[in-house]
Amino acid sequence: MFAYIVRRILATIPVMAIVALFVFSLLYIAPGDPAAVIAGDQATPADVERIRASLGLDRPYLVRFGAWLWDILRGDLGTSIFTNLPVATMIQQRIEPTLSLMIVTLILAVSIAVPMGVVAAWRQGTWVDRAVMGFAVLGFSVPVFVVGYVLAYVFALELDWLPVQGYTPFSRGFGPWIENLILPAVALGSVYIALIARITRATMLEVLQQDYIRTAKAKGVGQRSILFMHALKNAAVPIVTVIGIGIALLIGGAVVTESVFAIPGLGRLTVDAILRRDYPVIQGVVLLFSFIYVLVNLAIDLAYTLFDPRIRY
Amino acid sequence: MAQVTRRSALLLAGGALAAPRIADAQAQARTLRFVPQANLSNIDPVWSTAVVVRNHGLMIYDTLYGLGSNFRPRPQMAAGHEVSDDGRRWVISLRSGLRFHDGAPVTARDCVASIQRWAKRDVLGQRLDALMDGIAALDDTRFEIRLKKPWPGLAFALGKPSANICAIMPERVARTDPFTQITDYTGSGPFRFRQDLFRPGDRMIYERFEGYVPRSEAVDFLAGGKQAHFDRVEWIVMPDPSTASAALQNNEVDWWETPLPDLLPLLRRNRDIQTELVNTAGNLGVLRFNFLHPPFDNPAIRRAVLPAVDQRAFMNAAIGTDPALSTVPAGVFTPGTPLANDEGLSVLSGPRDLEAARRALREAGYRGERVVMLSATDLPVLQNLAEVAADLLRRIGFNVDLQAMDWGTHIQRRTNRGTVDAGGWSAFCTTWEGLDVSVPGSHMPIRGNGANAWAGWPTLPRLEELREAWFEAPDLAAEQAIAREIQRLVWQEVPFVPLGQVLPLMAHRRSITGVVKGGPALFWGVRRT
Repeated sequence: MFAYIVRRILATIPVMAIVALFVFSLLYIAPGDPAAVIAGDQATPADVERIRASLGLDRPYLVRFGAWLWDILRGDLGTSIFTNLPVATMIQQRIEPTLSLMIVTLILAVSIAVPMGVVAAWRQGTWVDRAVMGFAVLGFSVPVFVVGYVLAYVFALELDWLPVQGYTPFSRGFGPWIENLILPAVALGSVYIALIARITRATMLEVLQQDYIRTAKAKGVGQRSILFMHALKNAAVPIVTVIGIGIALLIGGAVVTESVFAIPGLGRLTVDAILRRDYPVIQGVVLLFSFIYVLVNLAIDLAYTLFDPRIRY
Repeated sequence: MAQVTRRSALLLAGGALAAPRIADAQAQARTLRFVPQANLSNIDPVWSTAVVVRNHGLMIYDTLYGLGSNFRPRPQMAAGHEVSDDGRRWVISLRSGLRFHDGAPVTARDCVASIQRWAKRDVLGQRLDALMDGIAALDDTRFEIRLKKPWPGLAFALGKPSANICAIMPERVARTDPFTQITDYTGSGPFRFRQDLFRPGDRMIYERFEGYVPRSEAVDFLAGGKQAHFDRVEWIVMPDPSTASAALQNNEVDWWETPLPDLLPLLRRNRDIQTELVNTAGNLGVLRFNFLHPPFDNPAIRRAVLPAVDQRAFMNAAIGTDPALSTVPAGVFTPGTPLANDEGLSVLSGPRDLEAARRALREAGYRGERVVMLSATDLPVLQNLAEVAADLLRRIGFNVDLQAMDWGTHIQRRTNRGTVDAGGWSAFCTTWEGLDVSVPGSHMPIRGNGANAWAGWPTLPRLEELREAWFEAPDLAAEQAIAREIQRLVWQEVPFVPLGQVLPLMAHRRSITGVVKGGPALFWGVRRT
């Protein structure tokens, strides 16, 4: 197992290298010029060139890529063209809100969606099942930003229960921290809940048809125990897979959610950097996201062994 | 007075939690929470031309001169000046008590270095750079500027409020290459920037600088006594207008700089919110042509567009149908400023005649060349202007290819001087800050200096002569006469078409009073009642 983990972690290196090459090349060929943005309308072409030179953007592709790669290998993600701040500092400033949002959303989604899916499978064909599936369709169909606006209108503007926007660091207390995260997490989690609930239901339906479930029933095992101890554990592998895949969904959704609720996270940092062509920031954030995704996949693979003892690495 | 919401009341009732909450509420009363028009992506107002950076610059730096609400310069950091040698020698003296945020006194050497750096980047600064025969500190409080020829507009240039402002920085900072960002943000203005709390894309924190000595006169736009009444000003970046609107309604912020016109009726219905016109100079909508390639290299074709331009239609699309939010007709110079005039304005204000435009286009020899119109879709005002312009050009008979892109790409595409088949362009719409286009010196759309002109690159020597004449105009009457002549020439050569003056409102909690009018959001004079 340990050797497997080490192998998987080592395998992230070529993956990250390919991502790095891809991201750098994509930005190199993409239209847009930060020097022109900085120089403004009053600048002469010579001014723009001077700014481009001062930013090192006039150097050939391979020289720039080599310098960037060398910095990355030394743990230096570079400096933002616009803010003059180290990219690592900017990521450090922004990672807590995004991680908080993702964790709260994940906890919320799993704790709601899995029981919903289980109950829907158990009560297949009844109004409970139809209600759960109806909710799932709704969750898939309504865009995150619409859910966000509706929640903000009802719970912040009308009822005045929760704030409209912003983020309070965890260091300032659990109460203020969670207060700012409830609405965004519900908005972002709606799609996720729908996805997990549907998969849980489908997988549970399949498992509930198995012989050992019938045997458990015949032995007089309780309904709750059958559902959550026998069936759910055996249905867990596809559910965990979907939860893992959904992390990417969360990263994408966080961009929208952070904008709607003015949460200063990595999603907004990425969008701002793309709009300004702040290359070092875009490269740093995309590398970070891909690294997180690789790690999440590793964690999922390892989680399989917990739910299915037949799986060994 | 800060309002107590149901949520805060519930939380206040929470016994043990009450004490810190009350302390927070007290701190909040001394803090102004402001939603700026955009993210402050960098913080050097000489290096960057972004409007939001200029606004930041006005907070933390003071200037030697400041414009009053009549758009004329008045001494600000300067105590005054003496002009001698037939207008070729200016000796500017500093008023006493000026200090930088690190406590060091502001000296003439700091001013000299600041002017020298600014003069490499700003359009009026470059004019000064070309005219300057020398600049030197005479002692700690006086410095001289020697000019090759007289320039009555020097005080205006040093106090110009449009980007780039001549921000006075410590000499050690101002020695930074003008094409490189500064890293030391020691300012000279009424607010101190908390660099340690700078979170770009999230919030910027400013604190009142206790060592700032305001002038004794009443505040008058960028001149007079800049009295800061808040201990702390927080700029909170909110990219989504609906969120900013909800935050303002929910008393989570105090002041929103650029409410979306669509949301104004909603805000107006809230009795705790006031909407008002603060930036009286607004922005001038502009339709720009590329002079380098057909069809707009032909002045007759450019002129053919004029009879069909309906400024009201452009303004309706840009900012809505409320006539209070825009001014038409608008000429070459910002309506409401001293150089605005009606010379030949009937070309845009008379009855619109699409058929006349079509006829003029045919007679001008248009051969159906593709007209590439650039549209920045992430800036709604510009996108709407481009849509209306594209529709107008199509109806006149142009073969229009409207190309949508984000602003970053738009900026780069504009620098492409090639033909449309080589990635070039034919026309685009934008807006210019009213303060910029209020005088010929900083009015980029009228520049006719060919390759060095603003995108579109017209070569119009007569316009350049008139601009030069404005710099040397001895008084306002002479300036106004030149402005009329410039406007007359613009209708002939059509380097651009004015599309109307956009007058965006600001929205703030009704408890916020004393907002200084004239231009951007300023943070002196404002208080909470």
